[in-house]
Order: sequence, then structure tokens, then C-alpha cells
Amino acid sequence: MPLKALDIYKLLPRKNCKECGDPTCLTFAMKLASGKGEVDKCPYLDDNARNILGASTRPPIRKVKIGVGERSFAVGDELVQFRHEKSFYHPPGILVAVSDLWPAERIREVTIRVRDEVLTRVGADLLLNGIVVRNSSGEGPAFRRAVEAVEEVADLPEVLMAADPAVMEQGLSVCGHFRPLIHAAARENYKGMAALAKNYGCPLAVRATAPEELEELVGLCTGEGVDNLVLDTGSSSLHQFLNVSTAVRQQAITRTTPAFGYPVFLDAAEYGLQDGALVTGILRYASVIAVEEVDRASLLALLTLRQNIYTDPQKPIQMTPGIYRVGTPGPDAPVLLTVNFSLTYFTLQGYLESSRIPCFMLIVDTEGLSVLTAVASGKLSEGLVKESIKKFELEKAVAHKTLIIPGYAAPLSGKIEEETGWKVLVGPRDAAEIGEFLGKEWKR
Amino acid sequence: MTIRTLTDWTGVVGTVMLGATAADGGTRSVSYTLGGESDLPFLGDPPSGHIPLVAFELCDDPAIWPAVVREYAGDLSNDPGKWAKAAEADYGADLVRLSLTSTRRKDFSGYAALKTTIQEVLRKCRLPLIVEGSNDPSIDSEVFAVCGEAGEGERLLLGTAEAGRYRSVAAAAMAYHHAVVAQSPIDINLAKQLNILLHEIGVPSDRIVIDPYTGALGYGFEYSYSVMERIRYSALKGDTDLAMPMISAPTDSLTVKEVRDAAPAARQDIAVKWEYYTALSSAIAGAAIVCVRHPRTVPLLKDTLAALWSGQTPGKV
Amino acid sequence: MPTVTFLPSFRKAVVDREGTLMEAALNAGINLNVVCGGQGKCGKCVMFVKSGVAEFDRDQFGRFFSPEELESGACLACQTRVIDDASVFVPESSHIQEQKILIETLGLETEFHPSVWKYPLVLNPPSLDDPSPDLTRLLWGIEKKGGPREGKIYAPLEVIRSIPRVLRDSGWKITATVALVPGGYRLIDVEKGDTSSRLYGVAVDLGTTTVVVFIRSLVDGRVVGVASNYNKQISCGEDILSRVNYARKGGLAKLQSLAAESINTAITRAANQAGVDREDIHEVVIAGNTIMTHILMGIDPAYMIEEPYVPVVRRYLTAAASRVGLEVKENAGLFIFPAVSDFIGGDIVADVLASGMSESSEVSLLIDIGTNFEVVLGNRDWMFSCAGAAGPALEGGEVLFGMRANPGAIEQITLDLETLTPAYRTINHEKPRGICGSGLIDLLAELLRACVIDRTGRINTVIAHPRIRLGPHFPEFVVAWKEETGIGKDIVITENDIKNLIMSKASILAACITLMNEAGISRNGIDRIYFTGAFGNYLSKENAIIIGLIPEVPLERIRTIGNGAIEGANIALVNRKKRKQLDEIARTMAYIELNATPSFMDEYTRGCFLPHTDLSLFPVVEKMLDECRIHRG
Ligand code: SF4
Ligand code: FES
Repeated sequence: MPLKALDIYKLLPRKNCKECGDPTCLTFAMKLASGKGEVDKCPYLDDNARNILGASTRPPIRKVKIGVGERSFAVGDELVQFRHEKSFYHPPGILVAVSDLWPAERIREVTIRVRDEVLTRVGADLLLNGIVVRNSSGEGPAFRRAVEAVEEVADLPEVLMAADPAVMEQGLSVCGHFRPLIHAAARENYKGMAALAKNYGCPLAVRATAPEELEELVGLCTGEGVDNLVLDTGSSSLHQFLNVSTAVRQQAITRTTPAFGYPVFLDAAEYGLQDGALVTGILRYASVIAVEEVDRASLLALLTLRQNIYTDPQKPIQMTPGIYRVGTPGPDAPVLLTVNFSLTYFTLQGYLESSRIPCFMLIVDTEGLSVLTAVASGKLSEGLVKESIKKFELEKAVAHKTLIIPGYAAPLSGKIEEETGWKVLVGPRDAAEIGEFLGKEWKR
Repeated sequence: MTIRTLTDWTGVVGTVMLGATAADGGTRSVSYTLGGESDLPFLGDPPSGHIPLVAFELCDDPAIWPAVVREYAGDLSNDPGKWAKAAEADYGADLVRLSLTSTRRKDFSGYAALKTTIQEVLRKCRLPLIVEGSNDPSIDSEVFAVCGEAGEGERLLLGTAEAGRYRSVAAAAMAYHHAVVAQSPIDINLAKQLNILLHEIGVPSDRIVIDPYTGALGYGFEYSYSVMERIRYSALKGDTDLAMPMISAPTDSLTVKEVRDAAPAARQDIAVKWEYYTALSSAIAGAAIVCVRHPRTVPLLKDTLAALWSGQTPGKV
Repeated sequence: MPTVTFLPSFRKAVVDREGTLMEAALNAGINLNVVCGGQGKCGKCVMFVKSGVAEFDRDQFGRFFSPEELESGACLACQTRVIDDASVFVPESSHIQEQKILIETLGLETEFHPSVWKYPLVLNPPSLDDPSPDLTRLLWGIEKKGGPREGKIYAPLEVIRSIPRVLRDSGWKITATVALVPGGYRLIDVEKGDTSSRLYGVAVDLGTTTVVVFIRSLVDGRVVGVASNYNKQISCGEDILSRVNYARKGGLAKLQSLAAESINTAITRAANQAGVDREDIHEVVIAGNTIMTHILMGIDPAYMIEEPYVPVVRRYLTAAASRVGLEVKENAGLFIFPAVSDFIGGDIVADVLASGMSESSEVSLLIDIGTNFEVVLGNRDWMFSCAGAAGPALEGGEVLFGMRANPGAIEQITLDLETLTPAYRTINHEKPRGICGSGLIDLLAELLRACVIDRTGRINTVIAHPRIRLGPHFPEFVVAWKEETGIGKDIVITENDIKNLIMSKASILAACITLMNEAGISRNGIDRIYFTGAFGNYLSKENAIIIGLIPEVPLERIRTIGNGAIEGANIALVNRKKRKQLDEIARTMAYIELNATPSFMDEYTRGCFLPHTDLSLFPVVEKMLDECRIHRG
């Protein structure tokens, strides 16, 4: 249970001296309670208070960075088990595997695809994160050549997968200074792997199939001086991965097993159901995911799911702005503009459905504000309407230029007409009347 | 590797029975118990409760049905009876959801045809049936009366009750002994309120299946996902007003831009994956029934669910 | 330009072609009831065009009228454009009526420590033996009478100029007025003869809608006159936001003078009633919301309504009352209550002062209800506050037959649970014209008890009863049949009205719970609830809990403090020692921004249910509802 502002306040000196930069101790306490303040800013805290307040601010899961440069990414540093409790912050890196048995040409091709393939959704560029090089050959030189092939065409983050530290070293000799993830330290090779991780300053995956072993191995590796660890639970089935990964997350954030306070690794290719493993991994706390090549269909869905799950759930429920269809509207169908506050959307959509008039809904981005507040605050403006018509290519969807706006947006009607050149019809205030309105007003 | 999760739950998801076999006076080949979970989805060896079920969704008037499905299913889509049979025999669905899209037409009055369709589907396909009726308060009471009666004795799942129109569905369900889908717009509190409303007019918990509304992947799915997680969480924490099994039935997974704008050659694949990702995520969030509309999604989903469930047999009774 | 003739008064006014009837009415000096400020939302500015040319869009606004009314020329004045000369009938109900404004007060006892004194003096005329200057003579006289020491009183030039004449004309019998001002004492007046009994002060509640004024003797603290009237700024917009917008568009000076005028009118009325000369008013204390006080002081409020929402001043302000256009004694002092933030103004600080919560160790929850609401939770050690918009429903706005607490408003109502027959009481016992806030709250609670509505507020149309029917747009419940009413139509409450009411009450309850959560205090930890605002005095506490307007606590813990702002202003007027406390209250009160609190929306949705989604927070109501349900089967 996080401390409430008032509980914190009671621990503070209550001098209201403003030295912390806040006007009163109470406002300082509110800041601390919401995780925004720094305990040390108050110079008058007693030891007891400092202990209580300090303990709750250390991150329970270590943040680990993989790769260097533009495409590098950080994982870990999560605070909750359920995204609705606060948010998930660091989306899992998804890295595509190549094998050192493949010809260099094929490795380069895959790498280039990972480098260049972009999916743009709601204004964000979604990308795969890097390359996993598998040491299927069991030999060092082949491994080195494979890493070289990757490096030739891209400076993507990498995971090097080899069981033998000597082989691993061959790979690291190529890319060791670019912070690849070393996979993996196990009971029998951890000394060698940890030494490499330390030498090259790389993060290290530790792999064990029993929790006690994993816990112990983490201890051994940190004992060797490697702090940036990633946990591979070595699960034998998807079912097991889900269970273990959930337990690891729980024990990490509750600080019951500090050794589990690291990001988790998943090899999605291991279970024969790659899409299923990807979904499970994204939803159930995997932070670094290795995949075999994914087709475009999976890629679209997978990157979208990851984006969905890692958005901030505490923003008001919003619809993604865009054009929505009710029924199968043709080019003559009416277009109704409304805001992206989800309840507004659903109410209107419900009434439209029951009106049985196929139509388009143009949902504009008012950051989740309702019509009334969006108009009052100026978020819903003629400029936004114009921009949305253009962005969502409304003119391609319909063959007319008439826009129906919500009754509460009536004050904007003139300005919208001027700005967009579209004719504006002012609809009813109450969505319940939309059917009747369309029946009467939409004569085409 | 097994380690125990920590949370001490005090609540259990209540159960709902669907489908009546001969033993129960119906004609279904199987009946299902939904619910009974005492932990988060898929946790435990074996997991608590029942493996999520895959419902294949079809309709009686394909005009507003996704184009990818019509294209794939061809003529079948004009014959709900045959289509339902294919869902059972060819696609391998656990149940069928019949969406009475004909009621969406203007000035609908084909009540007699509804009855025939439902009976036809029940005759040709022996799986338990979900019937999704009208969505217009002015015809609700007649439509649900017809649905309720046509499925009498079969323990249907009847949809959909909403906060603004729950009395007719509930009345039909109570009169003919069916369960009810209670849908609210992606909000745990609204879901709870609707359950309370249903209770207050006499619908018991073991006849309610929560539909928290599933937005398609990329189109609000994240909210649905978290609402489902929250509902399950609250149920396990002992909130009996939310301790009912959930159904996830996205309506626009196959009409999203990604599918519509896809190159024709890739469209079927993208549709299937989009639906699969949405449905599987819903199951992991806690849905007891996931509904899909593309035939190819059914077996994919069933395989994965079995793997997540660790190979246990589905919750057949 | 066309001329409009208003019937039945035959007042005439010219107006621009295409100007509205509302503008014409304003020109004609008719006080029109413009609840929504002329947006065509409230449907209160009804007129009937009898002849002439005027345009009114019936498609858009026809829903406010019956076909018969439209037939006889009904229109909304604010939405009707005058094209040519016209004559128009203005029904009684479209005039602003004297509102039952809250002037009842708690009558809290406070010590009497005025900050203005009058000293009647008989001075020795100067002589060759006693040649000290006039001023010194005067000030010594004050000191001898027990006033402040001579050296501590500052005498401004204009007063000094008047001294020689007054002293000599009066035969050295004069009365000196001294006020305590920041930095010391000030000689503010010297009058002939003994006027020491004529020393008054004014306490003002400057509200967005109404202005309330108390005149008190500063000799003994007695209340001598009370008056109230509408804030004349209403003509520039109903709600606070539209006022700020008006100010932004260059209307600040106009709003400022309207504010001063509104106060002046009320003061004049109260003064006349008490037989007090305004020239004897030596001090004015004003509590108002932050935007109102900014406007009164002529300070631009524009930056307060946009991010990051900062007021220009927060601490208390003093000035000469005449500087802002108040028609009282030239040198009279003006004291303006300090504010916490742009949303928590001096009115709330006054509420807190009046409730006494800032001096108690008990935890109190103070709720000020209006279109905008404010909530304060705390005790003498700590205080949280928040504010938000509840919408006008609880004040009768956006409700078809809602009205302010004017004569004819149904203010109390009960239903016979068997027959569903209502029994109601109206203000002034007139025939009902509508329902005001307290009546609406009663009605909601009663409809719930009678199971006419479910807990979302939807009317169960399955019940066969003549009072339950489908209206033109929504299901409705008939509260009073046409024949009983004073307006010739059935007074109903529609499902939509109920929805608006529930949304209003949900925001207030959600605000309370958000503060309670922030502080980690459960409903059992609340020792007191103080209610203040537009209907505080007439409200049924029990029904307020039944509908979930406020958290459930034992009824005896709930107090209404009527108009807390005027109460607080009164205290500060007669007890200067309390003024010191005000800045302390304003400074230590923490403000919570509801929109930045993620759980607020959740709480709001939970509150959009009667009384609340979680009945365990309302155990007594839960029992009651169970009984009702059993009763109805
Ligand atoms: S520095 Fe410490 S004592 Fe001073 S106001 Fe801040 S919290 Fe209070
Ligand atoms: S409708 Fe005319 S003032 Fe409100």
C-alpha cells in the first residue's frame, strides 16, 4: 500500500518553512505521495521518517539498457503487476533471430528488414528492436561471421545466444562495445559469461529452469560484479512461462525476492506457437523477446498489441481519432463529427446503429474531453476539424462536403465552415435525437 | 519450473451453465460451465475454473457482416443453419453465436423468420448457442420473447442487456431459463452497475455473463483489456457484483483499417491475425468466452488456449 | 431600426435590425430571466410575438414549447431576431423574480473587535496659552478618549484640509473617525457634532449570481439591514466562464462597474430599510470567488481560466472602497478576502471561517454547492480543497421544469408510495411553476424509494400509472397536473432531467470521496459535514444522502451553514482578529486538481448511480432500499 499524503504529512516536521520548495508541508507530502517529490528536499526529516519514506522510492525492477545509439532500448523499471494500477513503462524489445548456419546474404536480408520495416500508427513509428544471433553451429568463427554480417548493414541492438563462453567471446569481439545482451549464463558457464559481461560492460541473461536455481544464479552473477541482468526462466511450455513470469513480477514488485528484480527474457520461438508466445510475452511481463522471422500480418498485430498495452491507462478513455463506419456507408452517407471521449463515442454510435442509417463518424482528438468541455476549453476548434478532415482523408471517403456537428459545438459552426469549406449542419445536443435528426435533415 | 504466486484471493468467479444436453431436457451435445476461477487466468497447475471457450459468430443477414468473412465463407454466409453446422464440424468451435443482424434493418418486422432461423440453427448444430438479438428498445421486447421461446429448454446465452435496455432481455431469459449477456461500455463501474440492476429485477448471478465491450486491437482494445483484468481482479478480491464470467465479442476486429486497406492477397491473413491477437489477449485478461468471426481463427486460437492451459481438456461436462 | 413594444407594460425599445428580442428587452429595462445567458439552452426567456416581423428557428428550439404555445407565437427571446417593428408579450415567468436568496445565517457568536472607531470629542479652542495646532489638538483628544496614541495616527491631506472649518463651525464639538489600516491607524473623517452612534460597516457576499449585503453597526455589532439582489453581470453571461470571456473581449471595465453597481444597489436597499445614510458606512468587507473579486478590483481574470490557471493575487486586498466605485463614505476601507487558488476563492475561505472547522480538531467536510462546487476537508492542522463543475441541474437549470428558488417553486415533496401521489410545498404557497433544487433532490429520493426509477435514474415505464408516461423525447413522471399548476401545463420530471441531476450529484460526491481518499479518511472519520450554497437551508439532509449527493454519515453530524460566504464576511467585519486567520487558512489549504487525479473519473462513474455503485458506503440507504424493494415486490 503506497502511503497517503496525510500519512506522509504526519511524518513530516510540520514547520511549513518552505525550504523544500513547497508552500507547506502538506503540499510537499502530496508530492511525495504521488511519487513526484524527492524526500531529501526537506532538511528537517528525522531518521525514522527518512527510512519509511526512502524505502518506497527505490525501483523494484532494475532498468537494463540494450544496444547503443538511436535504436537502443531500456527495459525493466516497472512498478506494477497490472497496467491499470499505474502504467507499464518500458515496452519489451522484440528481436528477430538469425542463425550462424545461414549464409551471410540471408542474415543481411533479415537484418535490413528489421532495420527498415516501420509501421506508423496514431502518429508513432513502431519498429522491431534488433537481432538475435543464434549459435546453431556450435563454433566460434561461424558465430563471429554471423555477427559481422549483422553489423555490416545495421547498428541494431543485439542478443548473442551461445552456450560456450569461448564462442561468445568471438561474437563479442565484433560487437561487444555496443551493449549486446549476452545469453546466457547458466550454472556451468556463469563464471566465463560473467567475466565477459564485465569486460565488455554488457547486460547478461541468466538462465535456469528452477526458481531456486535462478535465484542462486543471480546471486552468483552479481557476486561476480555483473549488475545488469535479465532473467530467462527456461520454461518448458507457454503455460509455464505465464505462471513463472507472473510470479517473478509479483515477487519483484513486492520486493519479496530481490533476486527477481530484473527484466524477463522470452524465446518466443521455443513453443511452436510463435504468435501465441508473443501475445503471452507482451501481456505477461516479458521484456526481451526473441522471435523467428515474422510475417507482415503478425507484425502488424504484434506491434499494435505492444503499443496498446504500453500506453498510459490513466488517461481518460479515448477513442483513437479517425473515421469510423456505422453499417456500410457509401460515398453519399452522412458524416458526423464528434470527440474522442469514449463514452460520447459509444453513446452516439449506439444511437446511430439503431437509426439504421449507414454513416461515417469523424472522431477528432480532443484528448478525451467531452464535447461540452472540449468546446469550452478550446480543444475542439475549427483548426482541429480542418486538420482531421485532411489527416483522415475524409474527402476520399465521401463524395459530398457536409459535416454534421454536435449541438453543443454550435458556436463553432460558422468558423468550421470558413476554415474547411465544408457545409456544417448543427445536430442535436442529445445523441438520442440523432436518428430523428438524420431522418429529417439528411435528404440526399 | 514452478513457483507459487503470492496473492491471497478471497473471491471466486461464480459459475454459469450454458447449453442443455438430453440429460437436462435439451438437445445440445455438450454443456459448459463457465467460471469457477479462484486465481488469475491460466495460473496454477492445473489452472482453476475452465479453459476459455471459442465461439464462432455468424449472422442471419450478412449485409453488415465483414467483407473478409463473406468472401471466405462464400454461400455459407447466406445459410445460418449450414454455417452453424460448419462451425461445429469443420471449424471446431466450442459454441456458436448467432447474431440476428436482420433486426438491424429499418422497420424490421420479421419475427416469424427469426424463430425459424434459431430453430434451424439449433437443429443443424448441436453446440450450445449464444443469440444476439436486436439493439433497438422499440422492438426488443418482441425480439427477445421470440428468441427466448425458440430456444426454450436449450439454456441459451441471450444478448444483450445494457443499462438503458435490460428489462426485455432479462424478462425473456427468466421466462425461458436462459442466461443473459450484460454489456457495458468499457468501464468496470458501469459493468457492476448493470449487474446490480439485473439483480434488482431478479436475475441471479448464475445467469449473468459480463460483456465489458471489446474494442478491436488498436482501436481501444487496451481499455477493454484492463477493464477485463480489473473485473477479474475485483471478483477475486471478493466483489460479488463482479464475480461473473466474461465474454469478449469485438464487433469491428475485421473491419478495421488495417484489414480494409490490406492488399487483397494478404487480407485474409491479416484479418485472422488481428482477430487472433485480440481474442487471445482477451482470454489472458480473463474472458471465459471469446467470439471470433473468421473460420480460420478458431483452430489457431484453440491450439494456443490449450497450450496455455497446459493440455488439460476443455471444461466439458 | 425597428421598435419593439413589450406587453403588458407597453415599454418600448429600439434595436438593431436582426438584433435579438433579448437585446431589445435589455434596452427597454426589462429584467429578463436569462438563465443560460442567451444561448438558447435554458428555455426560460420565453416571449410571445403578437404582431410584427421576427425570426425564430422552430426546428432547433421548438422543443421548449407545446404546439399550442408555438401556435400563439412562443419563442425564446435570446434566439429571436427582430426584422421589423414588433409587439411582444412577456409572460410573468420570464421576468427575473425576487429570489429567495440565502440570508439566513448560523448566527455564530464572535467577539466584537471592530477596526473603525468614532470618538466624539469636545475640544478646548486654542488660545495664546494653548497654541497647539488643530491637528495635534484633535489627535490628543482622541488619545485622551482611549484611542490610539497621537503619534500613531496618520492623517491624510484631504482630512487635514477639512479640519479647521469643521472644528470652528461646530464650536469644537466634533466626532473623529479612526480606522485600523495596514501599517497603523488612519484618521479617516472629522464631522461636526456627536455622530458617534452613526458608524456602520457592510459585509458583502459577491456571488456569480447574487449579491448579499449586511449592514451592521460598528458601535455594538448589531445587524441593522440586510438586502440582496442579482449580480447584474448576468447580462454579460450566466456562468463564470462566459464572464471571463466577456472580460477578455474588452468587457472588463463594464463587468467591473456592473459588479460595483450590484453591490451599490444592495447597499442602498439595505441602508434605506435601516434608515442608515450611506455616508456613515465606513468599512466594506467582501467575500467572493476569485474571479468575481478580481473583476471587482479591475484585475484581468483572463489568465485564470487557461493553463496553468494562476490568479493574479491570492492574499487579501485592501483599498479605499471608493476606488472600485462603491458608494459609501469617501475614505471607507475595503477588505477583500484572500483566495486559495483561482477555483477556491474568498467565498470558500469565508465558509471555512464561518464553519469554525479551521479551529477545531474534528475532521470536517465542507461542501459548497452551486453550478460550480467546492469541497474542503480537514481540521485545524491540515486542509485539502478541490473544486469542479457540477452543472446547473441542482439549481434547477438544464431541467425541463427546474427553476431557481423563486415563488411558486416546489421546494419540498413527498410521494405516497402506494398511489404515487405527490404532496408538495411551494415557496410562498403559490401554485407550482416549477421545481427548485431542494425539491428536485426530494423528488429523486422519493422516486427511488417508490421504485419508479432504477438506480441509474431510468424510469420504469413498465409500471402502468397515469403519472408515468412517454414524453415527446424521454419517459417522464408527472409531478403536478396542469390544473394544479400556475403555468397551465403539467409539471413533469423527465428521464433526461434525472440524468442531469445524477451527473451533478455524482461530481460532488466524487469530489468528496477523492479528498477523503487523498487524506485516507473513511466516512466514519468525518466528524462534521457543513453544507453551504444555493439551497443549503431548505435541503433535506436525509434525501441528500439517499441520492448520494454527500457521503453517508449520521444525520446529526450534518450542519447547514446557509450562506457561509456572508457569514464569514460578517465575522471578519466585526472581528478584525479573525482577519489574521484568513491568510493562514488560505495559505495552508492544499488544492487538489480533480482533473489531474486519475481516480476522480472512476469515482464519478461510481457516483452516477443512486446513491452509489458501492452500497457498503451507504449502509443505511441500503437497508432502506431493501425494504422498499420488498415492499414493492
Ligand atoms: S522543508 Fe520540510 S518542514 Fe519545511 S515546509 Fe518543506 S516539508 Fe515542511
Ligand atoms: S434560452 Fe434564452 S436565455 Fe436561455
